[in-house]
Amino acid sequence: MEWELTEVPGNLTTSIQDSTVDVVAAKIESKLANTLIRQLSHICPLENLRHVKRVRRRTECGKSELSIILCLSTGYETCSKQIPDDVQKIVDTYHLNPFAAKVSKRPATSKEEWEEQCKLWPTSYHPAHDLDIVRGFREEELPSIFNCMKTAIQLSKVGNTAVIVDPSSTQIIAKATDQTHQHDTSEEGNKFSEVRADDTCSLSEPTDNDGNLLLPRFFLSKPNSLNMEVSCINPWGWTKQRTMEQKPLPGEGCFAWHPLRHAAMVAIENAAERDRMMFPSSTSITKPDSNGNLENYNEPAKRLKTDTKDKEQSADESCCSDLFETSRPYLCTGFDIYLVWEPCTMCAMALVHHRFKRVFYALPNPVNGALGGVYRLHGEKSLNHHYNVFRVSVPEAYLNGLNDGSKQC
Amino acid sequence: MAAAAAFMERALEQAKFALDNLEVPVGCVIVEDGKVISSGSNRTNATRNATRHAEMEAIDVLLREWQKMGLDQAQVAEKFAGCDLYVTCEPCIMCATALSILGIREVYFGCANDKFGGCGSIMSLHQGSTSSDDLSGSQPPRPKGFKCTGGIMAEEAVALFRCFYEQGNPNAPRPHRPVRIPQQ
Repeated sequence: MEWELTEVPGNLTTSIQDSTVDVVAAKIESKLANTLIRQLSHICPLENLRHVKRVRRRTECGKSELSIILCLSTGYETCSKQIPDDVQKIVDTYHLNPFAAKVSKRPATSKEEWEEQCKLWPTSYHPAHDLDIVRGFREEELPSIFNCMKTAIQLSKVGNTAVIVDPSSTQIIAKATDQTHQHDTSEEGNKFSEVRADDTCSLSEPTDNDGNLLLPRFFLSKPNSLNMEVSCINPWGWTKQRTMEQKPLPGEGCFAWHPLRHAAMVAIENAAERDRMMFPSSTSITKPDSNGNLENYNEPAKRLKTDTKDKEQSADESCCSDLFETSRPYLCTGFDIYLVWEPCTMCAMALVHHRFKRVFYALPNPVNGALGGVYRLHGEKSLNHHYNVFRVSVPEAYLNGLNDGSKQC
Repeated sequence: MAAAAAFMERALEQAKFALDNLEVPVGCVIVEDGKVISSGSNRTNATRNATRHAEMEAIDVLLREWQKMGLDQAQVAEKFAGCDLYVTCEPCIMCATALSILGIREVYFGCANDKFGGCGSIMSLHQGSTSSDDLSGSQPPRPKGFKCTGGIMAEEAVALFRCFYEQGNPNAPRPHRPVRIPQQ
């Protein structure tokens, strides 16, 4: 088996016929379009159908014809009963002839779907990601993606590991392991401070250093069995843990153990800490300017594009002081996270909140997995942010190689 | 219900505190034996950590306190099983899972969260697992459910959100609507 990357789809395809809404529409003269759009969007806005265009233009027999959606259908047989009084007034005033039509219930997620939808009634389409990134990743990214996953696997001792990476530089932003159980506070890999600017994912071929790593126990014993020490697989297992002896708390604000400190949650916290340390200027919101306006407050630049052209441009624009701020990410926008195990619903939702661009995991979580194992959270349309999810298949030969390494120690 | 309203008032105070600090206005209190033992408000902007929801803040106060008292995992679990949460907005999918993991007894919320609510709106994590725990211990513990009641002082909670979105979120990425501080 080779290293492989497969996208985990957010939803299992549903037919377009199952996902339509009945509406009442009418043909109108083009000179009335603006007036009617204004009036109808006031008295009968199409809530939850923002992707649907109010007006359809069709060319029939060489003549351009406009139709407008009057309102949602209530399901009664005859058209007249389906129309609210306010809308009926418009129908009477302009002598319209209502007819029934269907529109798609949800925004299109692909160009193909959008083209299908427009056959019913035109909708607007906003591609979720850059068009040049087919399938959510570029072919030339694969070696770096696999290296990042190797880094995560090598960090994994007991339980899950999370590594946050800026894909534009393959720089590691933060990393963490599960901290649900009592842990040794000197443990490596959870410390933000050890993350150096030159810490990239490109060095993960076995070296002398790697030989010193404690290797992941779950690979050594039964590679295909579930590991109950992984927080996301066994989130309710914390109550069964026994603290052998209560160690003194590591310090103010720290926890000896914490049922919710799954690897992804800790990694996010470490990334936030890094953000506060690297870009401290905007921690405190003090006063608005004389106009009572905070518009020029140092807000982070929205970071969706990660190509170098953007950086050069921003460097040119900013004299000096703004440079840091323009490179400051908004949460983890544009960043990737690598997890050895598929996350639970808590962690998967945390990754939505923190605006990750892509989530990679190596091993599925059939008990509580939120990204394919049990649920498909990333396909939930109502969420205010969506990321792509990929599974990295790790070759057994690689894992065996790790085992051999441990025997040599 | 009068008691529930009184605790929700306290949660709303927390939400107002968040609003005053230009945070998304959500607040909560945790109640044990009819007493508020912890409270929290959203701190996602100040911490730059989008997971620092009100519930997470209030939970951490208790975990810190109980660990300081020397309670072990089983004792902490027992404590949470006697606690109720009052929160101004339906817990999101992340927080609902967290509350289930901790095994909280009951949750009361204000307005529903139709974007990412985890207690009925988008997912129903409060329902837990239908099968009971396998006593032999060979299976992992199953998801715990909790009783959940929504719609308590929902208008007040929504009014705070409206204030927040009118003034604008200073931490939202560009382009965003300008932030305006009301002239008083």
